[in-house]
Amino acid sequence: MVEAVTVAPKTAEHYDVLVVGAGIAGMEASLTLGDMGMKVLLVEKSPTIGGRLLLLSKVFPTLDCASCISGTKTSGTSHHPNVTMMTYSEVSEIRRNDKDGSFSLRYVEKPRYIDTALCTGCGECEKACPIILPKETEYGLRGRKAIYIPFDTAVPKKAVLDLDNCIFCGACERVCPADSIDFLQAPREHEAEVGAVILATGFEPFPIEKKESYHYGQFPNVVTSLQMDRLTGPTRPFNSILRPSDGKEPSNIAYALCAGSRDKTVGNLRCSQVCCMYSMKQAQLILGTLPAADVTLYYMDIRAYGKGFEEFYQQTKAMGVKFVRGRVAQVEEEKNGDLTVYHEDTEGPGGKGKSTHDLLVLSVGLLPMRGIEKVFKNATLELDEMGWVKLRDETRSPSETSIDGVFSAGTASGPKDVPDSIAEAASAAAQAVGYVLSWREKTGAAVGIPLPKSMPVPMPQAVEVAAK
Amino acid sequence: MATETPHVSNPHLLRDIQKLGAFDVSACFSCGTCTSVCPLSDGTTVFPRKIITYAQLGLEEKILASPEPWLCYYCGECTDNCPRGADPAGFMMATRRWLTTKYDVTGISKRLYGSKLAEWIGIGLLVLLAGLLAFWYHGPIVTSTVALSTFAPIQLVELADWVVLGVLSVFLLVNVFRMYYYTVLRIPGKRIPFSAYVKNVLILPITFFTQYKFASCKKDPKKHWFSHLSRYLGYAMLFVLAVFLLSEWQTDTYYPLWSPIMLLQYAAAGLLIYGLSGPLYGRLKKTENQYKYSHSTDWMFLLLLLATALTGVAVVTFKYTYLPWAAYITYAFHLMLVTALLVLEVPFAKWSHMAYRTFAPYFAKLQALRGTPLAGGSKSG
Repeated sequence: MVEAVTVAPKTAEHYDVLVVGAGIAGMEASLTLGDMGMKVLLVEKSPTIGGRLLLLSKVFPTLDCASCISGTKTSGTSHHPNVTMMTYSEVSEIRRNDKDGSFSLRYVEKPRYIDTALCTGCGECEKACPIILPKETEYGLRGRKAIYIPFDTAVPKKAVLDLDNCIFCGACERVCPADSIDFLQAPREHEAEVGAVILATGFEPFPIEKKESYHYGQFPNVVTSLQMDRLTGPTRPFNSILRPSDGKEPSNIAYALCAGSRDKTVGNLRCSQVCCMYSMKQAQLILGTLPAADVTLYYMDIRAYGKGFEEFYQQTKAMGVKFVRGRVAQVEEEKNGDLTVYHEDTEGPGGKGKSTHDLLVLSVGLLPMRGIEKVFKNATLELDEMGWVKLRDETRSPSETSIDGVFSAGTASGPKDVPDSIAEAASAAAQAVGYVLSWREKTGAAVGIPLPKSMPVPMPQAVEVAAK
Repeated sequence: MATETPHVSNPHLLRDIQKLGAFDVSACFSCGTCTSVCPLSDGTTVFPRKIITYAQLGLEEKILASPEPWLCYYCGECTDNCPRGADPAGFMMATRRWLTTKYDVTGISKRLYGSKLAEWIGIGLLVLLAGLLAFWYHGPIVTSTVALSTFAPIQLVELADWVVLGVLSVFLLVNVFRMYYYTVLRIPGKRIPFSAYVKNVLILPITFFTQYKFASCKKDPKKHWFSHLSRYLGYAMLFVLAVFLLSEWQTDTYYPLWSPIMLLQYAAAGLLIYGLSGPLYGRLKKTENQYKYSHSTDWMFLLLLLATALTGVAVVTFKYTYLPWAAYITYAFHLMLVTALLVLEVPFAKWSHMAYRTFAPYFAKLQALRGTPLAGGSKSG
């Protein structure tokens, strides 16, 4: 692609595929592409890769350890010779070049105020810093400092300085043995040319404080399922399940399913697809930690649709978890911090039901991670009515978006569980390779770096067939 | 005697009810939020979800057997919280309209609710009839002063009063009896001892005079309850004046403006007009949930009542300003409106709710004594 090289500034980087987002789908897509010999630029906006999965305890329905699943992917991604990983960076602009189907993009590397080449991740700065803030990766259940390593298994294991909360006391700078702290760093803009784009931007949990009748954020013993996942995880805070208001070990835990899903009053009509299963997973894990606890799930429909899911549901019931069909409508707080939930037992005689629990977990739904549609400058990335990336044809060509050469992986296009996200990431990777190679065939030019001769898959035949 | 209510499904039931109101209860996924947030639904009276489920399943007999729709005072809390936007409160209102047509034995109610044309024809006929009667039977027209009792002979008006009262009461009581039949008598179960009828009878006057349950509705409870109570009290005072004190009220004599009967009359008219202003304004501007959808019969009821009140006020004004012709003509119009209002609305349309709402808690108590929960046997799994 001679033209593009001359048009682009001399500093432009060249890759075969851009992957936006380094959660499980982004990592999977990058690894698959890298294994096929494609040069990948992986851009992640947070300081570490791994995404949401890394923060979960176990995955359903196998109860495999989540960090063990994602741990191999994070280290694989960070060490892959074909994957260039840019953390704490955001894509600001993508333009499609209609002549050769490639994309020109800009992305900004946000300042960590740390020289990552020098930082060894020793954590001395964290100890010295006097500022304590709620830790995002523990959903506020633990604290962090203004300079911090996001979590123990962070990749890359480098500190990041939260300048908004820094008081510039200089304590970290004085103790850093590698002399890696640099208060003068500024955002750096990069330009790149890529052959295809994969969007693995993921989801954000529903901000459940919007559902006022649940009083999340007002009643301390109303927690989200993400917090509960931390409390049931192997690296959990407090090393037990304790309720926030008084540190009591809860013995009667309620789950409100569909919190922020299937609810017109909060503007999210969709089923979030994973809440039934992760709630049951947590119920099982709770019974592992607190065998004498009562766990009640208030649900509307149990959607155990995947392989092994129904068995998992039956197992959860058999373990003694109580299922009540009725949506939690209102929550009230008792003097001792217990919570009274109002609901109707719609399978029983009906009528207003009232039950008191000492901990209420809100099984929050998933919302699209917005913003990526704005970076496309000369093409429109279509979104569906809820704001998820719209697929061109969900049944026949999964992961194809409204823009040629832009593919979607994982929850960017809608709620998905882990195996589905991984499967779709691999599918997106395969389609991206097909796209890049078909354009290369058409233009007779190289996009990015040519494929190595040892490429494992005999791609050219496939492209020939596709070209006919 | 009582037998098990048949579980026959009417596939058109939801459609039939939907004709009487705007709501989308087919969207309901039966989550129970409406019941849980309802300030009036408790352990024994279960709504709105149960009634919605009956409608979805076409269980006409079950809805007929439910006094619950009349225990709902339409605060709209359920509609605000409904995760499907199914408007359960609007559904309950439409169900009340549907029940009104079902309790009515004559079928007039069904026609009135079914078509605007029938409604207008009904009103037209009654207005015409009253107008003709006034035209044929009015007394001598005195123009030196305003002599209402001479114009409308007091004995005739009184006679008409009692005839209308008697006939309407019969219709209304028959409808109430049918409600009793559907909600209590036909429910299978234990025999209700006579003492229970007596013991619970106090519910009737308490509900009738205070509508205290209305005040438990959550949102702006006192506002709506007070507005409703004022139009009700205003009407009740006028009823007493027109039926029991007619010879004192409608006379040729001029009372001093501050005499007790005049004061009573001011208070009644004031309360009635104040009480009507709230729902009229609300329905016009669609300010709140309960005002978002107005069936033609809602408008007809409110407007007839307002027109009656205003013509009444006009008659008195003309009398005391010595405008005989204006007073007589307005009075004739007043009679025409009042006839249409009473004859149509009391037994067959919206006004009948004063009877159904009063009896509903009483029948609900009696039904509970039967010991057969209506929802019984619906437990799945």
